[in-house]
Amino acid sequence: MTNSIEIHHLAVKLDKKTILSDINFSLQAGEILGLVGPSGCGKTTLLNTLAGFIEQENGSIVIGDSIKITKENKLPPEQRNLGMIFQDYALFPHLTVENNVGFGIEKLNKSSKQARINELLNLLELSELSQRYPHQLSGGQQQRVAIARALAPQPQVLLLDEPFSNIDARLRNELMIEIRQLLKSLNMTAIFVTHNKDEVFTFADKIAVMYQGKILQMGSPIHVSQQPNSWQVADFLQLGSWLPFQVKNDGVETAIGNINLGTEELTALNVHTSDLSTEINEKCLQSVLLIKPKVIEVTFDDPANVVVNHIGVTEQGYQYIVNSIENSTELAFSRLSFYHEDIFELGQQLSICIKHHQYLAFQQNTI
Amino acid sequence: MISGNRSKIWRIASWVIASILILPIFIMLASGLSAATELFSHLWNTVLPTYILNTLYLALIVGALSTILGVTSAVLITQTNIKGKATLRWLLMLPLAMPAYLVAYLYTDLFDYAGPVQRYLRELFGWNSPADYWFFDIRTLAGAGIVISLVLYPYVYMLARTAFEQQDQNLHRASRLLGLTPFQTFYKVCLPLARPAIAIALSLTIMETLADFATVQYFAVNTLTTAIYDTWLGYGDLSTANALASLLMMMVFVVVLFEQKVRMNHRHQTNRPVKSSHIILLSFSQQLLASLFCWLLAILGFLLPLILLVVMSVEYATLEQIDVLISTGVNSIELAVYTATIACVIALVVVLFKRLHQDKSKGLPLNISGVGYAIPGTVLAMAMLATFGPLDNYINSAAAYLGFEEPGLILSGTIFAIVFAFVVRFSAIANGAISSGVEQIPQSIDLAPPSLGVGRLKGLLTVHIPLLKPSIFIAWLLVFVEAMKELPAVLLLRPFNFDTLSTQIYQLISDERLEQGAIGAILIVAFGLIPIIWLNKNEDKV
Repeated sequence: MTNSIEIHHLAVKLDKKTILSDINFSLQAGEILGLVGPSGCGKTTLLNTLAGFIEQENGSIVIGDSIKITKENKLPPEQRNLGMIFQDYALFPHLTVENNVGFGIEKLNKSSKQARINELLNLLELSELSQRYPHQLSGGQQQRVAIARALAPQPQVLLLDEPFSNIDARLRNELMIEIRQLLKSLNMTAIFVTHNKDEVFTFADKIAVMYQGKILQMGSPIHVSQQPNSWQVADFLQLGSWLPFQVKNDGVETAIGNINLGTEELTALNVHTSDLSTEINEKCLQSVLLIKPKVIEVTFDDPANVVVNHIGVTEQGYQYIVNSIENSTELAFSRLSFYHEDIFELGQQLSICIKHHQYLAFQQNTI
Repeated sequence: MISGNRSKIWRIASWVIASILILPIFIMLASGLSAATELFSHLWNTVLPTYILNTLYLALIVGALSTILGVTSAVLITQTNIKGKATLRWLLMLPLAMPAYLVAYLYTDLFDYAGPVQRYLRELFGWNSPADYWFFDIRTLAGAGIVISLVLYPYVYMLARTAFEQQDQNLHRASRLLGLTPFQTFYKVCLPLARPAIAIALSLTIMETLADFATVQYFAVNTLTTAIYDTWLGYGDLSTANALASLLMMMVFVVVLFEQKVRMNHRHQTNRPVKSSHIILLSFSQQLLASLFCWLLAILGFLLPLILLVVMSVEYATLEQIDVLISTGVNSIELAVYTATIACVIALVVVLFKRLHQDKSKGLPLNISGVGYAIPGTVLAMAMLATFGPLDNYINSAAAYLGFEEPGLILSGTIFAIVFAFVVRFSAIANGAISSGVEQIPQSIDLAPPSLGVGRLKGLLTVHIPLLKPSIFIAWLLVFVEAMKELPAVLLLRPFNFDTLSTQIYQLISDERLEQGAIGAILIVAFGLIPIIWLNKNEDKV
C-alpha cells in the first residue's frame, strides 16, 4: 500500500530563523494525524508549508504517487492536490453554499459538477441550505460547507487548521465523532492541528507532539500517552503530575518518602534521564517522576507527608492538588494531583504513597 | 443614559438643528418644481435637453474613466510586485488635492494651439496651420471628462485599495488550494469581494462630477451647474434657476439611493486585514509598464500641474499679488472658521444624542444633518437664495411697518448664507469624524460617571468631550479645509466685492491670467493635501 503523504527532513526558515527542522513522517491512505503542541511550536507553519503557502528550506514532500515537492522543484498550492479546512472556514462570502462547494470543480462538465455538488450536499446534510449565503449559516453549518468544499475536488490529503476551535464546547465532541466517521467512510487521509489534547485523543489515529519546530514524538495516542519520550510530551498531554527525586543506592528518595526499586528498574530510569540531559544546562534540570493520578493512594495510618491546597469537583470524584509538607529541600513539590472519593479539607494534612508501577522518569527544565 | 428634562431639550435641539439644515432644500424643491415660467419652457425647448445630456455624458465619462484608472492602480499596488510600491501607494492619492479647474486651465495652456506642446510639434515637423495636423482639443466635453477623472480617480483607488488589502488572506488561500491560479483567484474572489467598495467610490465620483462647475464653465461645456449659474446671475430668474437646481438635485438623489443600496449590501469585509504577499507576479517588463502607468497618473493628476503652478508663481510673483492674497485669504479663513466651528458643535449635539439617548429614532437627526454632502454647491446656493431671499423681504417689510430702518439683505446678502450653505454641505464630514471618535469610547464609559455619583452633564463635559478632543480637532480641520476650497456656492452667494481665495482664482482663470494668482492656487492645493495626509496617517495606524 502506498503512502498518501510522505515528509522527509522538512525544514522551514522565516527571516533566517529556523521555524521547522527535520520533520519526518508518512501517512497511509485513510490515516488521521493530529499535530499538537504549545502555541508557537510550528504546527500551523507545518500545515501551511504542506499547503504551499510557505516555502520549504530543505527536505521533500511527496503527495500520492506522482507529486514530489522539494526546494528546487516548487509547486504552487493549486497543483498540490490538497484540501484545507481553515480555522474560520474562509467561505467565500459572495457565493452561495452551492457555489462555494462547486468553486474548485469548475473544470468538470456541467452535469458531473452538479452531480458532485449534490452528492456532497447530501453527504453533509446541506441540501436544504444550498441557496443560502455563508453569513446566513450557523458555525456548525459553515464548517460542513467548508468540508464539502474541500472534499469536492477529491484531494489526496485533507488539512484541517484548528477545526473545532470555533465550535461550542458542548457540541464539539459529537461533531468530532461525526466528522471522524465521515473521513473514515471516505478513506480520506487527514492532518489536523490543535492545541487541545482532548481533540487529539478523540479524532486522531496518530499523534505528533511538536515542540520548538521539531516533532518530539509520534505514534498512536495510546502509545504516546503510555510511553511519552520526554518531559514536554507528558507535560503537554497532561498525563500526570511531577514528583522530584534523587537516586539512592537501593532506589530513589522523594519528599514523600523513599521508593524501593530493583536494579533493572533503576538502570531503566537512569538511561531515560541521561538521554535527555545533554542539551540543556545541567544546573537547571531536575529529575522528576511522572505520577499519574491513579497510582496515588491515601494511607490513613502513616505520618502525614502532604497538605491539601486545592479541591476541585470532577466526574471522577474530588480532585486534590497537594504540596509536600517538607518544603525546604530540593525535593519539595507543590502540585501533585490525584482523585479521591472522600472529602478532605483545605489545609488538611494527608499521608499518601505511590503504588508500585512502571516508573517513568524525566529531566525537567526548571526555568 | 440621559433622561428627564435635559433629555427633552436635547432631543428638541437635535431635531430642530437637523430640520433647519434640510429645510432650505425643500423650499427650493417646492419653488423649483412649481416653476412654469416662460423662460423655463423656452429653455426646455431649446438648450435644456443638451444641458441634461451633457451632464449625463460627463458623469458617464468620469465614472467609467475613474473606475478604470482607480481600480487598475489599486490592483497594481495591492496585488502585484510592482516596483516603487511604497512611494506610489500615497503618491496616487495626491491628485485628490488638485482642483479640476486648475488642471483644466493649466493643460489648456499646455496643449492649446498656442501652447508649448503644439508649438514644439509644429517646429519639429514644419507644420504651419491647424489644417496640417490633428491634435486633440482639450476644451470639449471629453476633455473635461478626462481632466475631472484625473483628479477624482483617487476616490476609486483609495476605496478599492482598502477593500483589496482588507480581504481575508485565507479566502485567497482557499481558492488556491481549490485549484485556481493567482490570476483566476483575483478574478473570481478578490474582484467580486471589492465590488461594493468600488461601486461606492464610483457613486462618490459621480456626485463630485455633478457638482463640478468651474471646469465645465472654463471649457464652455454647458451642463446643469453652468445653466443654474447663467440663469440666476445672467437672467436674474430665480424660479427657473430653482427648477434647474431641483432637476440636478434629483439626479444626485438617484446616485445617493444607489450608494445607500450598495452600502446596505456591503457585508463582505472581514475585520482581519492581513498584510498579504502580492498574489500576481509580473515579469520585469510588465513591472516597468505598471510603474509607468501609476507614475503617469500621479504626474498628470498632481505633479505636473503643481510644477506648472510653481513655475508660474516664481516667474510672475509680485508684492501686489501678496496683498490681494492676504485680503482674500482672510475672507476664506473667516468663512472656514465659522463653518468648521458650527459644524463641529452640530455634530457633537447630534452624534452624542444618538449615543446617549434611547429613542427609537435617535440616529435620525445625525443622518438627516449629513445629507448635504451629496448636494452640489450650486444647488445649495439656490436653496439659500430660495429660502433667505423671501425671508429678507419679509424682515424688511416688517421693519418698515414697525418704523425701523430697513436692514437690507441681512441673510441672503451676507456671508450668513454662505456659511449656512457650507455647514449643510460639510456637516457630514464633521459627523463622520466625531462619530468614529465616539465609537472608540467603550459603552461602559457612558455608565461610569452616574455610577460614581457624577451628574450626567458634568460627566459629559469631564469625560466624553475630553476623550473626543482629537476627533473634534480632526473634524474641525477637515471641514475647515473643505470650506477653504469650496467654489460654486460662494460664487452664487457672495456679497458684492467679497472674494475668497477660490473665487479670486476662478476669476483669474476666467480672465486667462492665472499667473497673477499662482501662489493662491498653490495655497489651495496645499490645503487640499491636509486631509489626504491625515487619511494616509490614519491608515498606517490600522
